[in-house]
Amino acid sequence: MSTDLTFTTTRDPDGSLVVGAAGEIDMSNAAEFAAALEDARRQGDAFVLDLTRVEYLDSAGLAALFPHVDHVHLVAGPLLGPLLTIAGLADVTTIRTE
Amino acid sequence: MRQRPTDVFAGGGAVGRDLSAVEWDKTPLGEPAGWPQSLRTAVSILLSSRFPMWMAWGPELTFFCNAAYRRDTLGSKYPWALGRPAREVWAEIWSDIGPRIGTVLSTGEATWDEGLLLLLERSGYTEETYHTFSYSPLRDDDGALVGMLCVVSEETERVIGARRMSTLRDLGSDPSAIRTEHEMLTFAGAQLSRNRRDLPFSLIYLFEGDGVRLAGSTGIAATHPATDPSRWPAEGLVTLQDDDLPTGDWPDPPTQALRVPLLQQGGSPYGFMICGLNRYRALDDNYRGFLELAARHVASGVASARSNEAQRRRAEELAELDRAKTAFFSNISHEFRTPLTLIMGPLEELRSRLADPELDVIHRNGLRLGKLVNALLDFSRIEAGRMQARYEPVDLAATTSELASVFRSAIERAGLGFQVDCPPLREDVYVDRGMWEKVVLNLLSNALKFTFDGRVRVGVREEGDHAVVRVTDTGIGVPEQEMPRLFERFHRIENARSRSNEGSGIGLALVRELVELHGGTIDAESAVGAGTTFTIRLPFGSGHLPAGAFAEAGGEAMASSTADPYVAEALRWLPGEPQPQPPSGDAPKSYVLVADDNADMRDYLTRMLRSAGYRAEAVADGRSALEAARAGNPELIVSDVMMPGMDGLELVAALRADSRTASTPVLFLSARAGQEASIEGLEAGADDYLVKPFSSAELLARVRANVELARMRGHHTRWRTALVDSLQEAFFVCDEDGAVIEINSTFTDVLGFGPEGLPYPAAHPWWPGDAEGHQQVADAFAGLMEQTRGSYTIPVQHRDGHRLWVAAAFNQVDDLDTGRRVAVGTFRDVTAEHYAVQRESALAALSVLLSQAESLTDAMQSVLQVLREQWRATRVYAAVFDDTGSPALTTTEPAVAWDDLSEARRGTIRALRDKPLLTPAAEQTGGAGVTLEHPDGTMGLWIELAENRPFTEQDQTLLALLAGHIGQGLHRVHQLDQQRETALELQRAILGPAQLPPGFAVRYAPATRPLKVGGDWYDTVTLADGRIGIVVGDCVGHGLQAATVMGQLRSACRALLLQNTDPAQTLTALDRFAAQLPGAMCATVFCGVLDPATGELAYSSAGHPPAVVTHPDGATDLLDQGRSRPLGVRADSARPEARYVVPPRATLLLYTDGLVERRRQPLTTGIDKVAAVIQQGRATGLEDLATGVMADMAPETGFDDDVALLLYRHPGPLEIDFPAEAGRLSPVRSALRTWLARCGIDTTTTQNVLVAVGEACANAIEHGHRFQADGLIRLRAAATADHLQLTVTDGGRWKTPDPAANQHRGRGLALMRALMTEVTVSTGAAGTVVGLQARIRG
Repeated sequence: MSTDLTFTTTRDPDGSLVVGAAGEIDMSNAAEFAAALEDARRQGDAFVLDLTRVEYLDSAGLAALFPHVDHVHLVAGPLLGPLLTIAGLADVTTIRTE
Repeated sequence: MRQRPTDVFAGGGAVGRDLSAVEWDKTPLGEPAGWPQSLRTAVSILLSSRFPMWMAWGPELTFFCNAAYRRDTLGSKYPWALGRPAREVWAEIWSDIGPRIGTVLSTGEATWDEGLLLLLERSGYTEETYHTFSYSPLRDDDGALVGMLCVVSEETERVIGARRMSTLRDLGSDPSAIRTEHEMLTFAGAQLSRNRRDLPFSLIYLFEGDGVRLAGSTGIAATHPATDPSRWPAEGLVTLQDDDLPTGDWPDPPTQALRVPLLQQGGSPYGFMICGLNRYRALDDNYRGFLELAARHVASGVASARSNEAQRRRAEELAELDRAKTAFFSNISHEFRTPLTLIMGPLEELRSRLADPELDVIHRNGLRLGKLVNALLDFSRIEAGRMQARYEPVDLAATTSELASVFRSAIERAGLGFQVDCPPLREDVYVDRGMWEKVVLNLLSNALKFTFDGRVRVGVREEGDHAVVRVTDTGIGVPEQEMPRLFERFHRIENARSRSNEGSGIGLALVRELVELHGGTIDAESAVGAGTTFTIRLPFGSGHLPAGAFAEAGGEAMASSTADPYVAEALRWLPGEPQPQPPSGDAPKSYVLVADDNADMRDYLTRMLRSAGYRAEAVADGRSALEAARAGNPELIVSDVMMPGMDGLELVAALRADSRTASTPVLFLSARAGQEASIEGLEAGADDYLVKPFSSAELLARVRANVELARMRGHHTRWRTALVDSLQEAFFVCDEDGAVIEINSTFTDVLGFGPEGLPYPAAHPWWPGDAEGHQQVADAFAGLMEQTRGSYTIPVQHRDGHRLWVAAAFNQVDDLDTGRRVAVGTFRDVTAEHYAVQRESALAALSVLLSQAESLTDAMQSVLQVLREQWRATRVYAAVFDDTGSPALTTTEPAVAWDDLSEARRGTIRALRDKPLLTPAAEQTGGAGVTLEHPDGTMGLWIELAENRPFTEQDQTLLALLAGHIGQGLHRVHQLDQQRETALELQRAILGPAQLPPGFAVRYAPATRPLKVGGDWYDTVTLADGRIGIVVGDCVGHGLQAATVMGQLRSACRALLLQNTDPAQTLTALDRFAAQLPGAMCATVFCGVLDPATGELAYSSAGHPPAVVTHPDGATDLLDQGRSRPLGVRADSARPEARYVVPPRATLLLYTDGLVERRRQPLTTGIDKVAAVIQQGRATGLEDLATGVMADMAPETGFDDDVALLLYRHPGPLEIDFPAEAGRLSPVRSALRTWLARCGIDTTTTQNVLVAVGEACANAIEHGHRFQADGLIRLRAAATADHLQLTVTDGGRWKTPDPAANQHRGRGLALMRALMTEVTVSTGAAGTVVGLQARIRG
């Protein structure tokens, strides 16, 4: 059994691909996460990964993220902010606070 | 999909599964689907409870139970019992419980049974168990009684613990009583035989020589075949197959016995004890511990009985020595009489021919010596029981009056009145005439000696059956404090004014012995300054006297030979007694000393002077003249001027320099004529000058003139000398250089240095030889030289070398003759007092220290310090030889081991081991040692002294005395040690191994001094709804009684909490229970129910001190609401309840008053102090904090009262064990998130912790269990006020992170380090532990 994780794929008004993840990402479902990212890359060179509804992300998730770091822009909530900063991803991340 | 009907068992875990497997359709209850709601509810309550419960329902009372009951009680009957009729399940105890269930079902009222004995078959054997349980009725949906629910609390440990404790307490109930070995074994047997449950029978064997002797038995006849010692060959368990063994309090005999040694400290065992074992209990650690403690009691009893026996034997040996001494004394006194007779006989004969006063002196003193020897002889006869009295009927009035008349002349000469009032008595009195004379004469001579005015009276009367003789005086009287010792042998009242200082102190003692030989009594009444009355009562008749000791009435006149010495002695005390005078009546001869180097001149001068009536002595030179003058005190010195050695002029100078001879006149004879020579002689200090040749008439005229002149001049000097010599104290005069220039005779008596050695320049020869004593005297001497007056007590050395202590006082005065300043001093010998005071204070110091010692080690340290201070020793060693390798060494310096000592020192100490006990051995220089008994073996004590410090006979006596006390003291401390051990063992048995819910820490400490278990307790109860009941209580009193009450209250409170889950109601119900339980009244209890999820606490306090809550920021709350009276004290209203929410990471403290109550301090002071301690420790782990609170709050001497303590920190730690599967990470995270929320942790920290822990768990899953599929991972999280402490433990081994091989794992560790304050990874054989610590933002 793996941890709950769902994905949505949309286009934002300027037409770029937005992959939204919701749930928690750990070693049990990191492969799913990696697959979703691979999938998004196949649809375009760059995409936005919206992590605002991700409540947990650990190094297994980060490991899936790193191969795409030059092609992705991250959007995250304050919860994941510090982690992404520590992981050296602050430059590709927008922290959304509301 | 599961079937609906079995949902009723859903919450029951394994028991629920087994219940659903029961074929219910074959029971009267039918399928669960058809069960009424009431049954379903009852079953789910049952299954969800963690407290042991069983229930029975329906016509056959079908049996249900929960997991706790299965574990504690049902044992191997599970799962067979489920669904069976209760009667079958509990067939073996149905006779006990059947009627109770019947009562519940017929009346609808619950039952309550406390500590009921049930023999259960649950562990493969019939087991003795105790349960407290209550049966309460169960009703169906219509309200009809259809079953019952039983809540059980197993109390086997408590009941059995209390029983064993009681036996051990009884065994040790009177350790101080002195018993023989036999009495001790009888006593121990009586105590052991009262516990026939743990000891169905017991046998005590003692080793004797090569054999073994049965010394005691309980529960079994001493003639039983099983008492043969060969049946018990070795230590340990013995299987029994005899079927005729006694059964104790049980239906069947023991099947096993245990052989326990009776251990001797530092020696081979005294013997062994065979304990028949209770077949209904397994021989676990507690049981074995109990038997070993019991055997230890018996062994220590044997030890003290044997040591008492040894002491008694020693005392007998001493008594025997005393008897031998008396016999010797008696013989020697007897031997005196023969020579005395041979002196006195010829003397009488001489006196009849010669009237010489010298003979009178000899005669008087011969009589006196004879009287003394007779008195001593009488004493030794009485002591040896050989006094042969010959009782004859005597007219006591006439005889007494006749005896009295002998004294009349002496008494009247003393100027005293004398009344003799002896009217005839109605009948004769049986007395031994000789003894009676001694009685009356002694009393009369005593009266005369101490009476200076008034009268002496002798009276004889009849009073009832007694003849009463009273001797009354108006003398100085006897001080009240001396009265008890008045008749004591050799006791003399110091400083009493009397006519004579003579006396041996045996007169009155002899009188009493003699009167008692007549079956009579003697009493004294006295008032100081008013006089003394001695009253003798002699019974009439002869019935009180031994048969065969009677003589015919003699009726002869009294023998004056008895009276003579008394009267003669008394007369010598009186001033009117004519002094012996030269028969011619001339003045005593004057002593003239002649010094001349010419023998013819000497002869001529002496002959001429002698013929003129002088006593003349001659010497040949000045030096001899000086010595003779100092020793003999001549009235005139006639000296030649020219002499060899010291000439006349030097002689005069020397004479004038010495105060004793300064005034002795000197008449110079010289061949040198001329004015200058005579002036030279007179200037040198001579009194007169005569030029050779001279006529005899001229010389005699000059001599007479000088002697008379000197007599007039010397009158006041002699008066002073006589005065000084008559002083009871030693007297001395020091000149301004500190030389002693004058002494009196007492000085010589005390120090052995006589006037012939004067002057004695400082440092005086009596200064002690050792450095320390020398310094003391030198200091005192410096004071004497510098101050005008003073006093001091100092050590001095007698001429023969022995050590004395004197108390001296001095004054500086101006010598009127010389104008010089001199110091005049007196001193007395206080050696005996000094050593007595020294002994007393050393003993007192030692006793105090020994009584305060907490342990044997403590006691040893104190003892060595006392010895060191006593002798100002450089070091003191104590070595205990216990037959195992090197002796255990204690010294006054820390950390010195046996092997550190020099070989010589080891040898000296080792040699002590074979010395007789308590017999000091002193080395010439260096030190002294003594051997004594330490509880662990023979102990050698060695005192290393500073160089040249003497170890005198007095020191040896003191050392022996101290060693005796030390031995006893150490033994006492050792017994206390053992008692403490016993008490703690028992307390563990009573409080039991409490299974604490997470987040709690508890402590219990007994009162330290005297060591007492008490009535304090703590308890936690997990309730059915997951809340936790917490209780701290305090029963009145100490000891077994309080502990028993405590045990019952604790059980009752537990059961009531489970039933009520409400603190106020629980306490109200406990009130009713307390009212029926003797000793439970006025117990105080704090009872609370805590929700560990929310921190909500409902509580009620029955007179208990308030709980203390410390917030993470250090603020403190007192839980002082919800208060009412102590248990069982009637209150008008219901008990109040208060509510409180324990904030996250706050610490809750419950305690009993022993923790905070101190004498002369308000309770609030103690509460404030403990609150401060918790405040400071709020960041400490809970167990460490509990230990710290007990240590910080304990007074220096330990707690006066027992203390129970309970700490809770909210929330309790989180503990999760989960399989190493990635799918478990999410639920673990969810649990951790909830827990962190309870801890009040902010979201950022929460997220950091979640990620860090998630990484650690992921690592454990990936690496820790790579080769171990079914391994579990453990996560533990705990909070203090400002930190979170998390650990993740697995069973595997991590590899050093290798980013190349596994990039993101390495990143995981980096993440942990980035997110946490501290990360530790430790890998061992058992697995890997990751420790994470996060600071909580304030």
